[in-house]
Amino acid sequence: MQDARRLKLEEMIARTALGDREAFEALYDATSAKLHAVCLSVLKDRPEAEETLQEVYIKVWQNAARYAANGLSPMTWLITIARNRAIDRLRARSSRPATASTEAAATVASSEPGPETATIRAQERRLLDECLAQLAEPQAGAVRAVYLEGITYADLAQREGKPINTVRSWLRRSLLRLKDCVSQ
Amino acid sequence: MTEDQPLTPEQQDNLLAAELALGLLEGDEARAAVARLAEDPDFAQAVRDWQERLAGLAESLTPVMAPARARQGIREKLGHGLAPLSEDPNQRRSWWRSPVGALAGLLAVAAVAAFLWLPGQTPPIPTSGPDYQAELVSEDAALRVAARLEGDEMEIALQQGAPSSGRDYEIWWIRPDGSAPISLGVVPQSGSARMTLPEGLDPSEGIRIALSDEPAGGSPTGQATGPIVAIAELTRL
Repeated sequence: MQDARRLKLEEMIARTALGDREAFEALYDATSAKLHAVCLSVLKDRPEAEETLQEVYIKVWQNAARYAANGLSPMTWLITIARNRAIDRLRARSSRPATASTEAAATVASSEPGPETATIRAQERRLLDECLAQLAEPQAGAVRAVYLEGITYADLAQREGKPINTVRSWLRRSLLRLKDCVSQ
Repeated sequence: MTEDQPLTPEQQDNLLAAELALGLLEGDEARAAVARLAEDPDFAQAVRDWQERLAGLAESLTPVMAPARARQGIREKLGHGLAPLSEDPNQRRSWWRSPVGALAGLLAVAAVAAFLWLPGQTPPIPTSGPDYQAELVSEDAALRVAARLEGDEMEIALQQGAPSSGRDYEIWWIRPDGSAPISLGVVPQSGSARMTLPEGLDPSEGIRIALSDEPAGGSPTGQATGPIVAIAELTRL
């Protein structure tokens, strides 16, 4: 089921790369509500999220040809573009420097992920919620807030009333635990 | 692993990859990490692995349908949905900017939009399940909105009434299991609009559609902030 969906999205992206507008529209139908939710989660403002969503799909149209080589699953690629765009806009609001573009990672060619990689990834996905639940609530909440709301170490430090270095090492320990847990 | 145990160099590297994937790095540290992506395939792979892992967090977000104008905005910005270019794009731009031209352009966009959305004009959609409808009427009967579902396509028509100035009626999909309502966008200001239901929403009896009174463009939070003005259960056609 999950595999069929992934293949369908991959095909839509491949056809979009060839300039197929119908495939692009189908991709929008299948994914825009999720990407809109990502933009809303970060920006918490409807008009801004809507504008960001438009920028995301314009980028998808322009960069679809580069997708095949990056080795990310289609939803991860799309979610990463949406999240990065939304966070850039969020940081522009407070005139903070834009975040280092992690899209660069998505443009570095990788060897085609084999079926084994896909299976491992699917398993990690399933374990993610379980493993987050194993972290203490402030830690799990911080990981969620950093990813889904784009908060920074400075925000986190302010929220917790602790120095930046303290919250940084605290979050890094949580990330490590999370990784060990999902890749067990 | 105890809190005080120092991290191994492998762990340090992997955490740097995680921080880059999360957008937590700033300044020189960020620049160095981005530069490393191109030189160090293992590091780039570690970043991608984190992106995959973390995307699972977004997968759990409730989908929120964007208003139809978002799609139209994308089409316009990409030059899709307009008549094929027959003239120099620069000239077209100045033509577009003249008031008469702008009006003609809007009409053309509207015509294309109508063509794309009119039920009779689009190729038949392969429908998997039965068709459903819901009649949404406010308590004072001033507002009437009809929803009709064919497969995963929904047509929503404003038949009577209108939101107050600066407000919109937002459409919500409510499952009988008590889970959070899912936004399907806003009711068109006049006439009707077609939309595709997000993945995972399957029409059935017991599903209710509700309208809430929201700021223009819809709730800023993704959850209803204004009063529910009408609610109705889906019925089979």
